[in-house]
Amino acid sequence: MGFALQLFFTGIGIGAIYALVALGFVLIYRATNVVNFAQGDFAMLGAFAMILLAVDLNWPYWLSIIITLAGLIVFGALFNLGVYYPLRHRSFLPVIISTIGASILLENGVLFAYGPAPQSLPGMFETQGFNIGGVFFDSQYLLILVVTVVMVALQYLFFERTLIGKKLQATSQDKEMASLLGIPVAMMIMLTFIYSATLGGLAGILVGPILFVSVGMGSSIALKAFAASIIGGFGDVTGAVVGGLALGVIETFGAAYISVPYKDGFAFLVLFVFLLIRPQGFFGERVAEKA
Amino acid sequence: MRTTRTAAVIVVFAWLGVWLPGASAAWAADALKIGMVAPLTGPGAFSGQLQSNGAKLAVAEVNKAGGVLGRPIELVTEDDQTTNPGAVLAFSKLAGDSDIPAFLGPIRSTQVHAIAPDVLKLGKPVMFGGTDPVLTHMGNLWLFRFRPNDTYSARVIADFGTNTLGKKKWAIVHSTDAFGTSGMKYLTESLKSLGINPVLIQGYSNNSQDFTPVALALKQSGAEVMGSYMTFEADVGILAKQLRQLGVNIAWVGSPSNATTNALKLAGPALYGTFAVADFNRDSGPAAKEFAAKYEAAYKVPPDIFASWAYDAVHVLAVALNNAKGVEPDKVRAAILEVNGYQGAEGTYRFDKNGDGLHGYNIIKNDNGTIAFDKHIDFND
Repeated sequence: MGFALQLFFTGIGIGAIYALVALGFVLIYRATNVVNFAQGDFAMLGAFAMILLAVDLNWPYWLSIIITLAGLIVFGALFNLGVYYPLRHRSFLPVIISTIGASILLENGVLFAYGPAPQSLPGMFETQGFNIGGVFFDSQYLLILVVTVVMVALQYLFFERTLIGKKLQATSQDKEMASLLGIPVAMMIMLTFIYSATLGGLAGILVGPILFVSVGMGSSIALKAFAASIIGGFGDVTGAVVGGLALGVIETFGAAYISVPYKDGFAFLVLFVFLLIRPQGFFGERVAEKA
Repeated sequence: MRTTRTAAVIVVFAWLGVWLPGASAAWAADALKIGMVAPLTGPGAFSGQLQSNGAKLAVAEVNKAGGVLGRPIELVTEDDQTTNPGAVLAFSKLAGDSDIPAFLGPIRSTQVHAIAPDVLKLGKPVMFGGTDPVLTHMGNLWLFRFRPNDTYSARVIADFGTNTLGKKKWAIVHSTDAFGTSGMKYLTESLKSLGINPVLIQGYSNNSQDFTPVALALKQSGAEVMGSYMTFEADVGILAKQLRQLGVNIAWVGSPSNATTNALKLAGPALYGTFAVADFNRDSGPAAKEFAAKYEAAYKVPPDIFASWAYDAVHVLAVALNNAKGVEPDKVRAAILEVNGYQGAEGTYRFDKNGDGLHGYNIIKNDNGTIAFDKHIDFND
């Protein structure tokens, strides 16, 4: 029982990381109909900013987090202006290529600035975790879970209970109609990029102490997060969270009970099965119904 | 007026275009090129930088001592991106330059396997650092290994864990790439020769983000000691931390990646008290000590295995080229195989007919974050 509980806790913790990054994917997809392949690199940037501030400059952890998130707000705006905005009237393909290009540029930029060695970022808490009934609860995983729950709740309130949230939803559903209603579409998309970059950066700050901080860290998480958002139903916020958590649990249990080397295979096997029998995912609506 | 000026600019640039490459080629003709495939990007990028540092240090020393065949040597590096296709691409790019008589290859066995067919086709010597024993036993005459292969590391791990630490219940954790799989195979065989059947053999794929299932399997197996062949230091770091968190405190004798500077930095206290085999250790001999001092003076950081083998490879190649008195591949190959007793940073090179230069390993202990030399074990076969 302790064995299964331990796996479940770890799976949920890893799933929460996928969910956080998947949320960023989904928000940008909803606003622009484009998959942002640099989403994982937002996490990488957040983690490296923490290395710079909290480790190299030895600034207080909380201050480093605030400055990192503020930096990502600015970065999100610049990313929108440099990568999406000039191509906003083109089809989705040039924008996707643009995000892939931005991803390569960001990774190589950080590689140039920081070098290739993985870096160690200390966790937020002194204690590594605690043991209850033979199950070890890693404090960083617990923090990730709490942050994910809080972010999902805040996001729900923001989108459903605030005017600006409703404007963002309107923009994502029909840009032309939103524009006719006087909603500043370009500004709404800018806000989406800012929010997604901040969310990605937050994921990086949280995951850095567990996976170490390296140039490629973002892309490996993003790949799973992308799968998670498809499983959950691409474009659906609840789906991204459920998909992320499910993927984390499935791959951890698959690794423990079937095969460790094929751990990554389970995630993509689930993705394959979903694409085959339920391409709209858990919560996505069918394309035919959307029309 | 503008047309005339434009035409003048075009003529000047055309002239530069015609003459500059010729001029630079004429300048570079003095240098003898040595090709090097190294992981400068990708998950192994850190090791590529160290490999490059080690090789450059040796190139500078060789040139200071008069060069090779009366010419300075020049390193031409191509990035393999720590991937097999990247390695093939990087090697074929270098192989296309007929002025390069010999090469340094990757340190990762899987990438050496990837370029091996092209090496055979090209027919020029390639010095490499991968430790999969098969690489020098598959009939490829042009591969020369500058680190001891895993038949030796497996024997040292098995012997040390069983006879020195006195542990009989073994678990093996290994990466599923070429290096990890062959390491696991040879460690299993070495243990069997000591009358031991491992209670757990657990593979994992590189860049795993979570080792909880591996740690729990180790816990359930009841193993007293773990031998490991792990390719990337980040994986070593994550496994070490999760083992501690989940209360798995068995003895650990790891492959050389457990003793790299980066693994020590990432894992921190989680690796304290563990053992590893390491082909390079600064206290293993005078040549190792001298290399460590020179490396630290040049780069302000301590060296490790990623740098030492490349440093040795350049020096041995320089000796062989000088002895061959030319760059004909057959003569260079024969000259490398004749190297016997060269004192390198990694140990004393005695090349056998297969192209293996080293035949033993050091045992080291992680003593609260510093690497303590335990002993060197050499084999005669």
